[in-house]
Amino acid sequence: MTAQEVRLCGLLLQEHFGEVVAKVGTHLLKSGAQNLRTIIHETGISLDLVKKSLCVLVQHGTCVFSSGRKAPGSPTEYRTSCDRILRILRYPRYIYTAKTLYGDTGELIIEELLQRGDMTMSSTVKTVADRLTQNMEEGRSMDYSEVSSAFSKLVETHFLQRCPPMAGAGTKDSGTPATPATPAIPGTPAAPVSTAPPTPESFPDCYRVPHVTLIGRGKRRLSNEDGEDQRNAKKTKMDSETHGDEGIYWQVNFERFHLHFRDQAIISAVANKLDQTSSEIVRTMLRMSEVTTSPTATCTKPLSANEIFRSLPSSYNIPRPILDQYLTLLVDDPMEFVGKAGESGGGMYVVNLHKALANLARATLESVVQERFGSRSARIFRLLLRKRHLEQKQVEDFAMIPAKEAKDMLYTLLSQNLVQLQEIPKTPDYAPSRTFYLYTVNQLPTARMLLQNCYKTVANLIERRLFESKESKRLLEKSQRIEAILASLQASGAEPEQLTEVEEMITAPEKQQLEALRLHINKLDSAENQVDETIFLLESYVNSTMSVY
Amino acid sequence: QTAGWVQCEELCQQFPHGITDQVIQNDMPHLEPQQRAMAINKLLSLGQLDLLRNSSGLLYRMKDMQSTSKMKGSDNQEKLVYQIIEDAGNKGIWSRDIRFKSNLPLTEINKILKNLESKKLIKAVKSVAASKKKVYMLYNLQPDRSVTGGAWYSDQDFESEFVEVLNQQCFKFLQSKAEAARDSKQSPMVQRNSSFATSHEVWKYICELGISKVDLSMDDIETILNTLIYDGKVEMTVIAAKEGTVGSVDGQMKLYRGVNPVIQPTGVVRTPCGLCPVFEDCHEGGEISPSNCIYMTEWLDF
Repeated sequence: MTAQEVRLCGLLLQEHFGEVVAKVGTHLLKSGAQNLRTIIHETGISLDLVKKSLCVLVQHGTCVFSSGRKAPGSPTEYRTSCDRILRILRYPRYIYTAKTLYGDTGELIIEELLQRGDMTMSSTVKTVADRLTQNMEEGRSMDYSEVSSAFSKLVETHFLQRCPPMAGAGTKDSGTPATPATPAIPGTPAAPVSTAPPTPESFPDCYRVPHVTLIGRGKRRLSNEDGEDQRNAKKTKMDSETHGDEGIYWQVNFERFHLHFRDQAIISAVANKLDQTSSEIVRTMLRMSEVTTSPTATCTKPLSANEIFRSLPSSYNIPRPILDQYLTLLVDDPMEFVGKAGESGGGMYVVNLHKALANLARATLESVVQERFGSRSARIFRLLLRKRHLEQKQVEDFAMIPAKEAKDMLYTLLSQNLVQLQEIPKTPDYAPSRTFYLYTVNQLPTARMLLQNCYKTVANLIERRLFESKESKRLLEKSQRIEAILASLQASGAEPEQLTEVEEMITAPEKQQLEALRLHINKLDSAENQVDETIFLLESYVNSTMSVY
Repeated sequence: QTAGWVQCEELCQQFPHGITDQVIQNDMPHLEPQQRAMAINKLLSLGQLDLLRNSSGLLYRMKDMQSTSKMKGSDNQEKLVYQIIEDAGNKGIWSRDIRFKSNLPLTEINKILKNLESKKLIKAVKSVAASKKKVYMLYNLQPDRSVTGGAWYSDQDFESEFVEVLNQQCFKFLQSKAEAARDSKQSPMVQRNSSFATSHEVWKYICELGISKVDLSMDDIETILNTLIYDGKVEMTVIAAKEGTVGSVDGQMKLYRGVNPVIQPTGVVRTPCGLCPVFEDCHEGGEISPSNCIYMTEWLDF
């Protein structure tokens, strides 16, 4: 929980849930587990608002509660962690992936679930059907069964999972549907709940789609009900129809998406390094291992060449001996994406997941050094990664860079902490003339440091975006007002002159400014996503090394 | 009295390995110890005896007649210095080291060195490691690589441009070979194997290009190819080769081929923060902050 992480989490919470939730959230991040009274006392926010903020945080899975540590029966304590909040940054990527895999329906299902935190299957299906219907032509609507089947597919491939039921949820008031799945209202002394939040996968029904009776089609909201949209949204939840799945709430399974992203990264690396066919072979191997490999495994289960051959997509009509050649080349490649685990079945092959992640992380570090300091510094950096420990003179000789420049570059890298100095004394008194000074690069600590820098970068981008919007607040408000006036005029059938008159209320330079602002905000947004890609690679690498220990 | 020391001299000549005081006493028992001492001293002052000490006592030895004739002060020292320089071979020897080995004073050394240089028996070569140091070696010897820096140094200057040019040429050669292999559309194994080039092939190509005024050895080319490996553009494998195959060294050959980078430049370097020189100093509300960052402003307006 570094300062950069807390800062970024605060910004993300503020953007998605508002200032109050952000305040409560960051307070909990900094101070660890606390009970309600302490939170109110230390943040100075009223009881009501704190309760609501905690509800929001719990609803989205960012906060967990447990009975107090001091004594059984002491007030419940609330705890947040950075990891879950940082996922908010990745929401666009999750939604986009769902779109590529399961089309618009999948995209909307994931989007709804991300926005609401968790929902029952029936309410998800209804909401998504309504939204899809809204975008369809007049007279057509989306059938519930289509949405349900998309939902089931998402569950089958483990992208969605059931929320673990709360052990003390008996006190839940199921008659207040305004905030579904509200846990025990914190003010009252809660019944003792399990001290450690159970993982969703510890429940056997985690991926079982309940039997749901959902017959119907999406309802299209008419345009004159626009103002009542908010109330309608709440009304859908107060719908007294039951569909057989009350109390079963679903959430997005982030880990599964992460595995998918990791596979994608490995496949594209193979495509870059070797060729398209090799990457297709690796894709096939990873697809076959999706369900048999645990998330923290070092490599996939061994697959025989025969199996791979059978599972290749039919569009890739490569003969068997050629497949063997490709597999051999993959094994021989210095990046070691694929390893050979045996000879049975025409050769048993595994994908080396951890090694691939380490290689990708290393390539990321090298890329950063190259872009930031130039290709000769990058040469020195790669040299040190390969040779581990080198003296000053050896660095100059191997890299073929003149002594003065090499020294300069090494010291710059040293000051940025990308390179470390190891002293090996010849005599016990550490006299400088009698000590070896060796330069070295440690990949894992450097990756962690770069990860923190990425967090800071994203926070900077968000702050700049907020600043730009604030600067042009007056202009934005004016343009919004004008748009509203235009819309109402059009709806009530005004004449073209009136419309143009209203449009001209925004002057040309103001229009330019607005356009520039729009471009800036888009650029900052997409930059945040790009940095998130780096964050994902580095986080996966760091986590993969930790799971070994 | 005079016969005493003449007899001693004859005794010394009889025993070229040296005689002890005891031997003289045995031979001339009538000589008093004082007289013996005087005789020895006389011979010593004439410079005809060497006074040595061994485990049993003092030893008096006749100086070699040959060397005594040449032994005219500086000449002998010159011989000594010349010997030391000769021993240093083609690595040369520093003047201070000559002093240590010969125990001669510095001024003498310098005089002798000047003398030898004028006689064209030795020469001074500037060392590339420490530009102030001069090492001396025999006139007709080629200085060793460690002294001159080899092919990459011309008069003490590291030729970075030359290295850069070689670097690019080698890479182009390997890249075009890899592309040709890819375009040949043969089976993948054949494609990969034909994209490899041995260090010998690269060396021949570079020699034929004629861009180098100096003769480059295969080792030199391998150092250049290694820098390409550290640039991440080339990878190397070693294969076993029959002795006698062109380009094989100790039964193995090094193969190189051009490779593609494994990822595109990573996301964070596409933002101004990823490349910012004052990243550490940037805080919201400080003098350098995201809100007033000039790099961001430039980047946004790009």
